[in-house]
Amino acid sequence: MEAGHERELVERCRRGDETAFQALVERYKDLVFALIARTVLDRSRAEDLAQDVFLRVHRGLPYFRGEARLSTWIYRIVANVCLQERSRPAVSIRQTPLDSPGAQVASASIDRRFAELELRDRVEKAIARLPARARLLIAAHYLEGVRYEELADALALPLGTVKTQLFRAKQQLRRILETELS
Amino acid sequence: MFCDEVLDAVERIAAGEETPDRRAADHLATCRQCAAALADARAIDVLLRARPAPRVPAQFTSRTMARVRGDRWRRERVLDAGFNLALGLILFGLASVVWMLLNGSGLASVGDDAVAVFRTAGVALARRVAPALPLYAGAALLLGGALAFWWWAERDAAA
Repeated sequence: MEAGHERELVERCRRGDETAFQALVERYKDLVFALIARTVLDRSRAEDLAQDVFLRVHRGLPYFRGEARLSTWIYRIVANVCLQERSRPAVSIRQTPLDSPGAQVASASIDRRFAELELRDRVEKAIARLPARARLLIAAHYLEGVRYEELADALALPLGTVKTQLFRAKQQLRRILETELS
Repeated sequence: MFCDEVLDAVERIAAGEETPDRRAADHLATCRQCAAALADARAIDVLLRARPAPRVPAQFTSRTMARVRGDRWRRERVLDAGFNLALGLILFGLASVVWMLLNGSGLASVGDDAVAVFRTAGVALARRVAPALPLYAGAALLLGGALAFWWWAERDAAA
């Protein structure tokens, strides 16, 4: 979104223009929801939390000074909401080694699509075992439209630290998957 | 020792953020463990990129706007209540100040005398009016009945 258009939208929202705020929700809902749904472990809470983000945006707009980009400020709120969410994983990681006899028979018979889905499922479960911040970093990094710089601003961290934390998160993820698969 | 260094950089290399120098490239070509780690990291990177973005539930915007409206209404109510309370406190404070000033200046005792005069006059007026009260009540009833009859007749005419 262009800076001028963004400023105008914020100003209209501040004046209490409901249509403008609705446009803001429409503009950011995909990213906000995707970030939250990928970060919180209880998927049923994702919509509530995404709505909480927009409530906080609505309450905070009068105090938004425009020093950061609107998207950065919204990501910061998303990060706070996700990190405050205390729900712990209700996900149980199935520890089925690939080289077990059952798994070998299964992998021989299942089609490629199913194997891919299974692998994706394992990745999701491995991500669920990461700390909240690591989940958020991975979620944000792999979503289209979120840049390192915005992530760094949103988390109030230097750019280098964000990159390091992201690589550590991926390293952690690889180790979890390796442990699970070995 | 060199394995540790390469394994630390595997994610950066897989993401294309770092190009392995010659020493690291030679190591990756010969060390099966590090090469496997790099292959895993690349596979994970591909999987993460291919993760489908969760879809926003239908009616999300309208539900969010309803919550925003509800929240604004609640906050306005709290603001109104605060304003009314503040106004009430100010009026109470003003009344207290006026009362203290009247007491201090002696005007309150004059006020008491005035109240006594009005009370006596009120009682005298009520005593004079009391005998004629049934007459006034009868007249009011007659007038009310006439008005009700007129309203009923007009309603029928309109129908």
